[in-house]
Amino acid sequence: MPFKKQYDSLSSEDLFRKFHIDLPLLTAFLILFSISLIAIYSASNSDINAVIDQSIRIGISLAAMILIAQMSPLDYERIAPWLYSLCFILLGLVLILGETRNGATRWLNIGISFQPSELMKIGMPLMVARYIARESLPPSNTSIALAVMIVILPTYLIYLEPDLGTSVLVAFSGLIVIFLSGIKKRYLVIAFSLFITSLPLIWPMINEFQRKRVLTFLNPEKDPLGAGYHIIQSKIAIGSGGLFGKGWLNGSQGQLDFLPERTTDFIFSILAEEFGLVGVVIIICIYLFIVGRGILIAINSQDLFSRLIAASISLTFFIYVFVNISMTIGLLPVVGVPLPLISRGGTSMVTLMILLGMLMSVGTHKRLVTK
Amino acid sequence: MSFKSIITQKEDQNIFLNRILFSSLLILLLASIIFIRLVFLQIYDSDQYKLRSLNNTIRTQSVPPSRGLIFDRNNNILAENRPVFQLEMIPEQVQHIEKTLDQLAELELINIKKIDALKEKIDSSYQFKAITLNTKLSEKQIAIFANNRNIFKGIDIKTRLTRYYPKGEIFSHALGYVGSISSNDYLRFDSAIYTGKEQIGKTSIERDYETSLHGYPGKEKLLVNVRGRVMDRLDTQPFEPGNNLILTLDTRLQEVAYDAMQGKKGAVVGIDPSNGEILIFISTPSYDPNKISQGMSNSEYAAFQNNKNKPLFNRAIAGQYPPGSTIKPMLALGGLEMGYINPDNFIPCEGHYFLPNYSRPFNDWTTHGSVNTKRAIQASCDVYFYELAVKMGIENMSAFLSNFNLGKKTLIDIGSEKKGIIPNRAWKKNNFKSKQNQSWFKGETVIAGIGQGYMLATPLQLAMATVMIANRGSAFQPHLVRAIENIKTGELQYTPTEEINNLEHIKEEHWDIIHQGMIAVVNERRGTAYGIFQPNVPIAGKTGSSQVFSIDKSSNKEVPEELRDHGLFIGFAPLKTPKIALTVIIENGGGGRLAAAPVAEKIMQAILDSEKKNAL
Repeated sequence: MPFKKQYDSLSSEDLFRKFHIDLPLLTAFLILFSISLIAIYSASNSDINAVIDQSIRIGISLAAMILIAQMSPLDYERIAPWLYSLCFILLGLVLILGETRNGATRWLNIGISFQPSELMKIGMPLMVARYIARESLPPSNTSIALAVMIVILPTYLIYLEPDLGTSVLVAFSGLIVIFLSGIKKRYLVIAFSLFITSLPLIWPMINEFQRKRVLTFLNPEKDPLGAGYHIIQSKIAIGSGGLFGKGWLNGSQGQLDFLPERTTDFIFSILAEEFGLVGVVIIICIYLFIVGRGILIAINSQDLFSRLIAASISLTFFIYVFVNISMTIGLLPVVGVPLPLISRGGTSMVTLMILLGMLMSVGTHKRLVTK
Repeated sequence: MSFKSIITQKEDQNIFLNRILFSSLLILLLASIIFIRLVFLQIYDSDQYKLRSLNNTIRTQSVPPSRGLIFDRNNNILAENRPVFQLEMIPEQVQHIEKTLDQLAELELINIKKIDALKEKIDSSYQFKAITLNTKLSEKQIAIFANNRNIFKGIDIKTRLTRYYPKGEIFSHALGYVGSISSNDYLRFDSAIYTGKEQIGKTSIERDYETSLHGYPGKEKLLVNVRGRVMDRLDTQPFEPGNNLILTLDTRLQEVAYDAMQGKKGAVVGIDPSNGEILIFISTPSYDPNKISQGMSNSEYAAFQNNKNKPLFNRAIAGQYPPGSTIKPMLALGGLEMGYINPDNFIPCEGHYFLPNYSRPFNDWTTHGSVNTKRAIQASCDVYFYELAVKMGIENMSAFLSNFNLGKKTLIDIGSEKKGIIPNRAWKKNNFKSKQNQSWFKGETVIAGIGQGYMLATPLQLAMATVMIANRGSAFQPHLVRAIENIKTGELQYTPTEEINNLEHIKEEHWDIIHQGMIAVVNERRGTAYGIFQPNVPIAGKTGSSQVFSIDKSSNKEVPEELRDHGLFIGFAPLKTPKIALTVIIENGGGGRLAAAPVAEKIMQAILDSEKKNAL
């Protein structure tokens, strides 16, 4: 029954395709969002308002994602320089006019208060990808040098705020593009060794607070009630969860407030405490599925720009997940990176969903290859 | 945008695929690292983290036991535990602490003067821990608070058990009082069985029977959150209440005695001669133990301590007084036994006694004429005993008086007892610094004959000596606690009483003589207490007046109160089978007949009356 078949495909797959939505990705997102609501309910000591707030943010983020997905990668390529320049100017303005909270100047108030560094998470990969994609691979030395400049300047501005975590992630989203463009391995080796050797020089330049974080990470038990408290309590929560967890709403570390910042940075610890190793491995698999799907989209896309941004977004996404989880299990210092799609939070989720919307756009817009 | 050939595109793609493959491997590597780390945390080291998570959330708290009750010999309650209503605040639940405190002061729920101290206390305590704002709310205050409860979030009324003494001042020196635990108290008792929240005995029975009264704390397993607030009770092991005490004291007699002592400074001790049980134990002025136990401010307590009448001073066991003429029956017994006096010999008393080589005479308080032993006791003739003392010598006197347990502790079952002084040459040598003062003078022997000079005794010691007189030699260790009631088994553990008798060798007829003298004191004309008591009562006694200061008695000047003589009375009743041996001491009361004998009369009469009632 060819007619029936056509009708069927029109009703499901083609309908999503028509609205540039990648169904497997959307499904994965929705699962993670559900987990987010479950975890936030538990982490907020059964505060239904926190769940409602998060649902609203999820709704807004999904809308932003779908909206962005309607644009074609060509549009992104076109607006990339403008967006990047705008972000750059705003980052400059932050340092002059920004709001200071807890000793960090990250916010700019234009009616609503927001962090331009978040916007740069979008602007950066687009700009570097557009710059690299204008010539064939591998890029010339001058191109690489310029691309590195494109990465370093805003990174430095964000670092000045100070916001070490975001500056590292923004730099990463640009550098990954340069890496994917096929920069020679020897440059990578040189860059890496330069980084290592300059560490002793950079160390005194990093401010007191950041240094303390790193030192604490290296030896949390040294100051168990002060700086090391977060890491220790997080490890206790995760470790005590065991294989199957203590059950939803039964995690003592979370329910009795021992775990700090547990709706945001340490939400993974809540999940690990209440759902155990089994639960978190499933969650990690969903993340890996999203990353894998993104890489697949990158490989299948037919122009270099699309490929670069799709890959950059996927790998950056993975890095967010990796940094957050590593921080909760004591593999990396606490740098304040939320767990993608699960942690409570507005701006960072919208930013991320815009990036994922772009990934969908790349996956669903087939561009004609110029001959 | 530059156009690229298909070949370059192909090349682009290869380079890109190459890098993507590398990245994917890296992703898998990083994911594996996370996985391995999780396996270590959640499986390999999980038990250790489970334990740490429990340690985080489970706190064991001890629950103070309820203190044992104290009853008198007839099951009247003397010390119990009563709930008091306290106003408590949990700072973390109060939004504007200063404003709230002001509002509470406005409603007179807290003392406005204490606000600053409370603020300081709040700042220095845990924010989740209840802080007591007012230790004792009146019923009116409770009602006021109930009406305004909704504006005071985080503030509540809590009940706590506090010691309560229904008879107040009457028993305070026997029972003592309790208070919150100080660091000194932990040195006395096993800190492991104290929670720090209970009251601890500070003086007398409350202190010395602390171990019996206290009991054992219970335990509560609590689920707490990170701020230490209790979220749930997981397990409770109840406390073991303290054991009850049954005292030897008789409330009715205590009341009679306390009544008779109203407005006087001094002590009354009455002992049952048949077993050493203390029936009456009074020291005045007294104090309200309830006030002290519920906590006094430092200034209130200081006022107590600095009061010149010393209400906290336990005169019954720690007050040391010259026994005065009350010592005469005992010395007469010694004189008779050692043959220094013949009971039938009359000697003349002209009102003074001369010692060879002493220019000044030793005065008698009056001129007695011709007296024998019985008369000398009856009329309290000093000259008779001056002569006896000189004959006996101080060494014999002190040795004989020691038989009455004078100069030694009675070993009553409460502490801070004083042992008094029975002086002799050795004592003087040990207790004076300068050589000159160390030698014993004959004049000192003379005044020792009438219980003056260095001689000191506590009311309890005199009461115990009176027991020996009443029993013709034997006495029992005096004690206040008759039995400890084991709260679990209901079993009564009686205080063992040891019989002491240093006077077995005394001849019966000698006892008869001094008994006759003492009966005559009360019942015959010229007896020093004659007329104070009802005629022909079965009571034997002896008055005493001890000089505080040597005054010329002939002048008619008013003597200032603190320099007046102490009045003493010892006695026992009824004569056949004595039920009580009594000592009354009135400080600066102006003599035994006027001050002490009337008090003794009231008490003795109460006992005789009840004896009569029982006989009917």
